[in-house]
Amino acid sequence: MSKEDNMAKALPGYGTIDVPKDRVVPFGAVTPAPVGTQKLFQTSNWRVVRPVKDEEKCTRCLQCYLACPDACWVYKEEDDTLEWVGDFCKGCQVCIAQCTVDGALVAAPELDFEGGVVRLEKPF
Amino acid sequence: MAKVHEITVWARGVLQDKEGRDVINIFAKAAQAEGKHAQAFDNYEDLPDRVLVTVRKYVRLSDEEITHKYVYTNDKPEVVVICEATIVKGIDVLRGMEPGGTLIINTNRSIDDMLKLLPNANLLATIATVDADAITGVRTVDFSGSEGGVDTTGIGKGIAAPIVGAVAKVTGLIKKESLAKIVSDVSGMERGYNEVKIKHFKPAVAELVGAAAGSKTKR
Ligand code: SF4
Ligand code: SF4
Repeated sequence: MSKEDNMAKALPGYGTIDVPKDRVVPFGAVTPAPVGTQKLFQTSNWRVVRPVKDEEKCTRCLQCYLACPDACWVYKEEDDTLEWVGDFCKGCQVCIAQCTVDGALVAAPELDFEGGVVRLEKPF
Repeated sequence: MAKVHEITVWARGVLQDKEGRDVINIFAKAAQAEGKHAQAFDNYEDLPDRVLVTVRKYVRLSDEEITHKYVYTNDKPEVVVICEATIVKGIDVLRGMEPGGTLIINTNRSIDDMLKLLPNANLLATIATVDADAITGVRTVDFSGSEGGVDTTGIGKGIAAPIVGAVAKVTGLIKKESLAKIVSDVSGMERGYNEVKIKHFKPAVAELVGAAAGSKTKR
Protein backbone atom coordinates (compact mmCIF):
# COMPACT_ATOMS: atom_id res chain seq x y z
CA MET A 1 0.00 0.00 0.00
CA SER A 2 1.39 3.40 -0.97
CA LYS A 3 2.03 6.20 1.49
CA GLU A 4 -0.86 8.22 0.00
CA ASP A 5 -3.33 5.41 0.59
CA ASN A 6 -2.24 5.14 4.22
CA MET A 7 -2.76 8.89 4.66
CA ALA A 8 -6.22 8.60 3.15
CA LYS A 9 -7.09 5.78 5.52
CA ALA A 10 -6.34 8.03 8.49
CA LEU A 11 -9.04 10.49 7.42
CA PRO A 12 -12.47 10.42 9.08
CA GLY A 13 -15.07 8.97 6.77
CA TYR A 14 -12.59 6.87 4.80
CA GLY A 15 -14.30 3.94 3.17
CA THR A 16 -17.84 5.26 3.73
CA ILE A 17 -18.19 6.15 0.06
CA ASP A 18 -17.76 3.44 -2.47
CA VAL A 19 -15.50 4.99 -5.12
CA PRO A 20 -14.82 2.84 -8.18
CA LYS A 21 -11.12 2.00 -8.50
CA ASP A 22 -10.71 3.91 -11.78
CA ARG A 23 -12.12 7.09 -10.22
CA VAL A 24 -9.76 7.22 -7.26
CA VAL A 25 -7.47 10.24 -7.31
CA PRO A 26 -4.24 10.20 -5.29
CA PHE A 27 -3.54 12.96 -2.79
CA GLY A 28 -1.78 15.98 -4.30
CA ALA A 29 -1.35 16.70 -7.96
CA VAL A 30 1.30 17.89 -10.33
CA THR A 31 0.58 20.99 -12.38
CA PRO A 32 2.95 22.35 -15.00
CA ALA A 33 4.92 25.47 -14.03
CA PRO A 34 3.49 28.65 -15.58
CA VAL A 35 6.50 29.45 -17.73
CA GLY A 36 6.24 28.29 -21.29
CA THR A 37 3.59 25.72 -20.62
CA GLN A 38 0.40 27.56 -19.70
CA LYS A 39 -0.17 29.65 -22.78
CA LEU A 40 -3.33 31.17 -21.32
CA PHE A 41 -1.51 32.49 -18.28
CA GLN A 42 0.41 35.24 -20.02
CA THR A 43 0.35 38.04 -17.49
CA SER A 44 2.69 40.53 -19.17
CA ASN A 45 -0.12 43.04 -19.62
CA TRP A 46 -0.39 43.48 -15.85
CA ARG A 47 2.99 45.18 -16.04
CA VAL A 48 3.52 48.91 -15.55
CA VAL A 49 7.24 48.49 -14.93
CA ARG A 50 9.63 45.69 -15.88
CA PRO A 51 12.75 44.48 -14.05
CA VAL A 52 15.95 45.35 -15.89
CA LYS A 53 19.22 43.70 -14.94
CA ASP A 54 22.68 45.26 -14.97
CA GLU A 55 24.92 42.41 -16.12
CA GLU A 56 28.04 44.10 -14.72
CA LYS A 57 26.65 44.43 -11.20
CA CYS A 58 24.80 41.10 -11.01
CA THR A 59 26.69 38.50 -8.97
CA ARG A 60 24.47 35.55 -10.04
CA CYS A 61 23.35 35.06 -6.45
CA LEU A 62 20.07 33.76 -7.93
CA GLN A 63 17.82 35.39 -5.35
CA CYS A 64 15.68 36.79 -8.18
CA TYR A 65 15.38 33.30 -9.65
CA LEU A 66 14.20 31.92 -6.32
CA ALA A 67 11.87 34.81 -5.50
CA CYS A 68 9.89 35.20 -8.72
CA PRO A 69 6.40 33.77 -8.16
CA ASP A 70 6.07 33.04 -11.87
CA ALA A 71 9.51 31.57 -12.47
CA CYS A 72 10.38 34.30 -14.94
CA TRP A 73 14.12 34.20 -14.30
CA VAL A 74 15.63 31.15 -15.95
CA TYR A 75 19.21 30.33 -15.02
CA LYS A 76 21.33 29.02 -17.90
CA GLU A 77 24.12 27.10 -16.22
CA GLU A 78 26.18 26.58 -19.41
CA ASP A 79 26.88 30.28 -19.89
CA ASP A 80 26.12 31.49 -16.34
CA THR A 81 23.35 33.86 -17.44
CA LEU A 82 19.84 34.64 -16.28
CA GLU A 83 17.16 34.94 -18.93
CA TRP A 84 14.01 36.98 -18.28
CA VAL A 85 10.76 35.49 -19.58
CA GLY A 86 8.86 38.67 -20.35
CA ASP A 87 5.60 37.17 -21.61
CA PHE A 88 4.84 35.90 -18.11
CA CYS A 89 6.38 38.63 -15.93
CA LYS A 90 3.60 40.62 -14.27
CA GLY A 91 5.88 43.38 -12.97
CA CYS A 92 5.32 42.60 -9.28
CA GLN A 93 8.92 43.65 -8.48
CA VAL A 94 9.44 40.93 -5.88
CA CYS A 95 12.71 40.03 -7.65
CA ILE A 96 13.88 43.63 -7.35
CA ALA A 97 13.06 43.72 -3.65
CA GLN A 98 15.01 40.49 -3.09
CA CYS A 99 18.06 41.38 -5.18
CA THR A 100 21.17 41.43 -3.02
CA VAL A 101 23.20 43.96 -5.01
CA ASP A 102 22.31 47.63 -5.08
CA GLY A 103 21.31 48.61 -8.60
CA ALA A 104 21.73 45.16 -10.17
CA LEU A 105 18.00 44.84 -10.76
CA VAL A 106 15.88 48.00 -11.24
CA ALA A 107 12.34 48.83 -12.36
CA ALA A 108 12.00 50.59 -15.72
CA PRO A 109 8.70 51.99 -17.07
CA GLU A 110 7.18 49.52 -19.51
CA LEU A 111 6.32 52.42 -21.86
CA ASP A 112 10.06 52.94 -22.46
CA PHE A 113 10.09 49.71 -24.47
CA GLU A 114 8.36 49.25 -27.79
CA GLY A 115 7.35 45.60 -27.51
CA GLY A 116 7.63 42.85 -24.94
CA VAL A 117 4.00 42.69 -23.82
CA VAL A 118 1.60 40.07 -25.15
CA ARG A 119 -1.40 42.06 -26.35
CA LEU A 120 -4.57 40.28 -25.29
CA GLU A 121 -7.99 40.58 -26.91
CA LYS A 122 -9.78 40.83 -23.59
CA PRO A 123 -8.78 41.52 -19.98
CA PHE A 124 -6.96 38.68 -18.32
CA MET B 1 -34.05 54.76 -30.59
CA ALA B 2 -31.79 57.79 -30.43
CA LYS B 3 -28.07 57.29 -30.74
CA VAL B 4 -26.46 55.69 -27.70
CA HIS B 5 -22.98 56.99 -26.96
CA GLU B 6 -20.85 54.19 -25.55
CA ILE B 7 -17.85 55.12 -23.42
CA THR B 8 -15.50 52.39 -22.15
CA VAL B 9 -13.02 53.17 -19.38
CA TRP B 10 -9.95 50.97 -18.82
CA ALA B 11 -8.19 51.01 -15.46
CA ARG B 12 -5.86 48.83 -13.37
CA GLY B 13 -7.34 46.44 -10.80
CA VAL B 14 -7.37 47.61 -7.15
CA LEU B 15 -5.02 50.58 -7.65
CA GLN B 16 -7.40 52.40 -9.98
CA ASP B 17 -10.62 50.48 -9.53
CA LYS B 18 -12.33 53.28 -7.60
CA GLU B 19 -11.02 56.04 -9.88
CA GLY B 20 -12.20 54.19 -12.99
CA ARG B 21 -15.61 53.63 -11.43
CA ASP B 22 -15.77 57.31 -10.47
CA VAL B 23 -15.27 58.29 -14.10
CA ILE B 24 -18.36 56.36 -15.24
CA ASN B 25 -20.48 57.35 -12.25
CA ILE B 26 -19.66 61.05 -12.60
CA PHE B 27 -20.47 60.92 -16.28
CA ALA B 28 -23.75 59.08 -15.75
CA LYS B 29 -24.86 61.40 -12.93
CA ALA B 30 -23.94 64.53 -14.89
CA ALA B 31 -25.82 63.24 -17.94
CA GLN B 32 -28.90 62.54 -15.85
CA ALA B 33 -28.67 66.04 -14.36
CA GLU B 34 -28.74 67.36 -17.94
CA GLY B 35 -31.90 65.38 -18.60
CA LYS B 36 -30.21 62.62 -20.59
CA HIS B 37 -30.55 58.92 -20.05
CA ALA B 38 -27.52 57.09 -18.75
CA GLN B 39 -26.34 53.64 -17.72
CA ALA B 40 -23.12 52.82 -15.90
CA PHE B 41 -21.66 49.40 -15.08
CA ASP B 42 -18.31 48.23 -13.84
CA ASN B 43 -16.25 45.11 -13.46
CA TYR B 44 -18.43 42.60 -15.26
CA GLU B 45 -16.23 39.76 -16.58
CA ASP B 46 -13.07 41.39 -15.17
CA LEU B 47 -11.01 40.85 -12.01
CA PRO B 48 -10.99 44.14 -10.08
CA ASP B 49 -9.56 42.58 -6.93
CA ARG B 50 -6.28 41.59 -8.56
CA VAL B 51 -3.64 44.28 -8.45
CA LEU B 52 -2.82 45.82 -11.85
CA VAL B 53 -5.05 43.50 -13.87
CA THR B 54 -6.91 45.47 -16.56
CA VAL B 55 -10.54 46.21 -15.73
CA ARG B 56 -13.28 47.87 -17.75
CA LYS B 57 -16.00 50.26 -16.73
CA TYR B 58 -18.83 51.23 -19.05
CA VAL B 59 -21.11 54.22 -19.41
CA ARG B 60 -23.78 54.91 -22.01
CA LEU B 61 -25.54 58.18 -22.68
CA SER B 62 -28.55 58.88 -24.85
CA ASP B 63 -31.24 61.50 -25.36
CA GLU B 64 -33.88 58.80 -25.15
CA GLU B 65 -34.40 55.80 -22.95
CA ILE B 66 -31.72 53.17 -23.48
CA THR B 67 -33.41 49.90 -24.27
CA HIS B 68 -30.54 47.41 -24.38
CA LYS B 69 -30.71 46.60 -20.69
CA TYR B 70 -28.76 43.75 -19.13
CA VAL B 71 -25.98 43.99 -21.69
CA TYR B 72 -23.03 45.13 -19.66
CA THR B 73 -20.19 45.35 -22.14
CA ASN B 74 -19.90 48.11 -24.74
CA ASP B 75 -19.42 46.23 -27.98
CA LYS B 76 -18.86 49.32 -30.10
CA PRO B 77 -17.27 51.99 -27.91
CA GLU B 78 -17.30 55.43 -29.48
CA VAL B 79 -15.02 56.82 -26.77
CA VAL B 80 -12.30 54.85 -24.97
CA VAL B 81 -10.68 56.28 -21.83
CA ILE B 82 -7.40 54.82 -20.53
CA CYS B 83 -6.61 55.54 -16.86
CA GLU B 84 -3.09 54.06 -17.05
CA ALA B 85 -1.18 54.40 -20.31
CA THR B 86 0.65 51.03 -20.30
CA ILE B 87 -2.72 49.37 -20.87
CA VAL B 88 -2.51 50.32 -24.58
CA LYS B 89 0.45 47.93 -24.92
CA GLY B 90 -1.31 44.97 -23.37
CA ILE B 91 -4.84 45.18 -24.74
CA ASP B 92 -6.48 45.94 -28.06
CA VAL B 93 -8.24 48.91 -26.49
CA LEU B 94 -9.92 50.00 -29.74
CA ARG B 95 -11.54 46.61 -30.30
CA GLY B 96 -15.08 47.05 -31.63
CA MET B 97 -14.64 50.76 -32.29
CA GLU B 98 -16.07 51.99 -35.56
CA PRO B 99 -13.94 54.39 -37.64
CA GLY B 100 -14.11 57.93 -36.29
CA GLY B 101 -13.75 57.13 -32.60
CA THR B 102 -12.03 58.95 -29.75
CA LEU B 103 -9.25 57.80 -27.42
CA ILE B 104 -8.29 59.68 -24.26
CA ILE B 105 -5.25 58.57 -22.23
CA ASN B 106 -4.03 59.57 -18.78
CA THR B 107 -0.30 60.02 -19.43
CA ASN B 108 2.51 62.54 -19.37
CA ARG B 109 3.87 61.12 -22.63
CA SER B 110 3.27 62.70 -26.02
CA ILE B 111 0.37 61.86 -28.31
CA ASP B 112 2.87 60.67 -30.95
CA ASP B 113 4.48 58.27 -28.48
CA MET B 114 1.05 56.83 -27.73
CA LEU B 115 0.17 56.49 -31.43
CA LYS B 116 3.27 54.33 -31.94
CA LEU B 117 1.81 51.78 -29.52
CA LEU B 118 -1.57 51.57 -31.27
CA PRO B 119 -1.67 49.14 -34.20
CA ASN B 120 -5.18 50.24 -35.23
CA ALA B 121 -4.89 54.00 -34.68
CA ASN B 122 -6.47 54.54 -38.12
CA LEU B 123 -9.86 54.00 -36.43
CA LEU B 124 -9.43 57.24 -34.53
CA ALA B 125 -10.74 60.67 -35.46
CA THR B 126 -9.44 62.13 -32.20
CA ILE B 127 -6.76 61.23 -29.67
CA ALA B 128 -6.10 63.18 -26.48
CA THR B 129 -3.81 62.98 -23.47
CA VAL B 130 -4.20 64.42 -19.99
CA ASP B 131 -1.66 64.11 -17.18
CA ALA B 132 -4.19 63.40 -14.45
CA ASP B 133 -1.61 62.02 -12.02
CA ALA B 134 0.39 65.25 -12.20
CA ILE B 135 -2.74 67.35 -11.75
CA THR B 136 -4.04 65.70 -8.57
CA GLY B 137 -1.43 63.19 -7.38
CA VAL B 138 -4.29 61.34 -5.66
CA ARG B 139 -5.54 57.84 -6.36
CA THR B 140 -8.36 56.72 -4.13
CA VAL B 141 -7.90 53.00 -3.47
CA ASP B 142 -11.24 51.75 -2.24
CA PHE B 143 -13.96 49.29 -3.21
CA SER B 144 -16.66 51.68 -2.05
CA GLY B 145 -19.48 51.86 -4.55
CA SER B 146 -18.55 48.66 -6.37
CA GLU B 147 -21.05 45.95 -7.33
CA GLY B 148 -23.95 48.30 -6.70
CA GLY B 149 -22.85 49.07 -3.13
CA VAL B 150 -23.22 52.48 -1.53
CA ASP B 151 -20.32 54.83 -2.17
CA THR B 152 -19.26 56.21 1.19
CA THR B 153 -16.05 57.89 0.10
CA GLY B 154 -17.42 60.45 -2.33
CA ILE B 155 -16.72 60.57 -6.04
CA GLY B 156 -14.12 62.42 -8.07
CA LYS B 157 -11.51 63.00 -5.38
CA GLY B 158 -8.49 61.76 -7.33
CA ILE B 159 -7.43 61.28 -10.94
CA ALA B 160 -11.05 60.70 -11.99
CA ALA B 161 -11.66 64.47 -11.69
CA PRO B 162 -9.13 65.64 -14.33
CA ILE B 163 -10.01 62.64 -16.50
CA VAL B 164 -13.73 63.50 -16.63
CA GLY B 165 -12.83 67.14 -17.29
CA ALA B 166 -10.71 66.04 -20.24
CA VAL B 167 -13.37 63.67 -21.58
CA ALA B 168 -16.01 66.42 -21.37
CA LYS B 169 -13.82 68.82 -23.32
CA VAL B 170 -12.77 66.32 -25.99
CA THR B 171 -16.17 64.72 -26.62
CA GLY B 172 -18.53 67.58 -25.83
CA LEU B 173 -20.98 64.98 -24.48
CA ILE B 174 -21.29 66.65 -21.07
CA LYS B 175 -21.09 70.25 -19.87
CA LYS B 176 -18.27 71.20 -17.52
CA GLU B 177 -20.81 72.93 -15.25
CA SER B 178 -22.72 69.68 -14.75
CA LEU B 179 -19.52 67.88 -13.75
CA ALA B 180 -18.64 70.64 -11.28
CA LYS B 181 -21.82 69.86 -9.31
CA ILE B 182 -20.77 66.24 -8.87
CA VAL B 183 -16.98 65.91 -8.54
CA SER B 184 -15.32 66.49 -5.18
CA ASP B 185 -12.20 68.02 -6.70
CA VAL B 186 -13.65 70.76 -8.92
CA SER B 187 -10.33 72.51 -9.57
CA GLY B 188 -8.73 69.20 -10.64
CA MET B 189 -11.63 68.64 -13.03
CA GLU B 190 -11.21 72.14 -14.48
CA ARG B 191 -7.47 71.65 -14.92
CA GLY B 192 -8.13 68.42 -16.81
CA TYR B 193 -10.62 70.30 -18.98
CA ASN B 194 -8.16 73.08 -19.70
CA GLU B 195 -4.92 71.11 -19.94
CA VAL B 196 -5.97 68.17 -22.12
CA LYS B 197 -3.92 67.92 -25.34
CA ILE B 198 -6.00 67.03 -28.38
CA LYS B 199 -5.13 65.87 -31.90
CA HIS B 200 -7.73 65.47 -34.64
CA PHE B 201 -7.20 63.42 -37.77
CA LYS B 202 -8.63 64.17 -41.18
CA PRO B 203 -11.07 61.44 -42.18
CA ALA B 204 -9.36 58.71 -44.20
CA VAL B 205 -10.13 58.52 -47.93
CA ALA B 206 -12.02 55.27 -47.47
CA GLU B 207 -14.34 56.94 -44.96
CA LEU B 208 -15.06 59.88 -47.26
CA VAL B 209 -15.96 57.47 -50.06
CA GLY B 210 -18.16 55.54 -47.63
CA ALA B 211 -19.90 58.71 -46.44
CA ALA B 212 -20.53 59.83 -50.03
CA ALA B 213 -21.97 56.42 -50.91
CA GLY B 214 -24.13 56.57 -47.79
CA SER B 215 -25.59 59.96 -48.69
CA LYS B 216 -26.33 58.73 -52.24
CA THR B 217 -28.34 55.77 -51.05
CA LYS B 218 -30.30 57.99 -48.68
CA ARG B 219 -31.14 60.55 -51.39
S1 SF4 C 1 8.70 41.48 -11.54
FE1 SF4 C 1 7.69 39.76 -10.45
S2 SF4 C 1 6.94 38.43 -12.12
FE2 SF4 C 1 8.48 39.81 -13.02
S3 SF4 C 1 10.40 38.70 -12.94
FE3 SF4 C 1 10.30 39.97 -11.07
S4 SF4 C 1 9.38 38.66 -9.52
FE4 SF4 C 1 8.99 37.69 -11.52
S1 SF4 D 1 19.15 38.84 -7.27
FE1 SF4 D 1 20.27 40.52 -8.23
S2 SF4 D 1 22.43 40.00 -8.04
FE2 SF4 D 1 21.28 38.16 -7.57
S3 SF4 D 1 21.19 37.07 -9.54
FE3 SF4 D 1 19.33 38.33 -9.42
S4 SF4 D 1 19.88 40.25 -10.44
FE4 SF4 D 1 21.80 39.17 -9.98
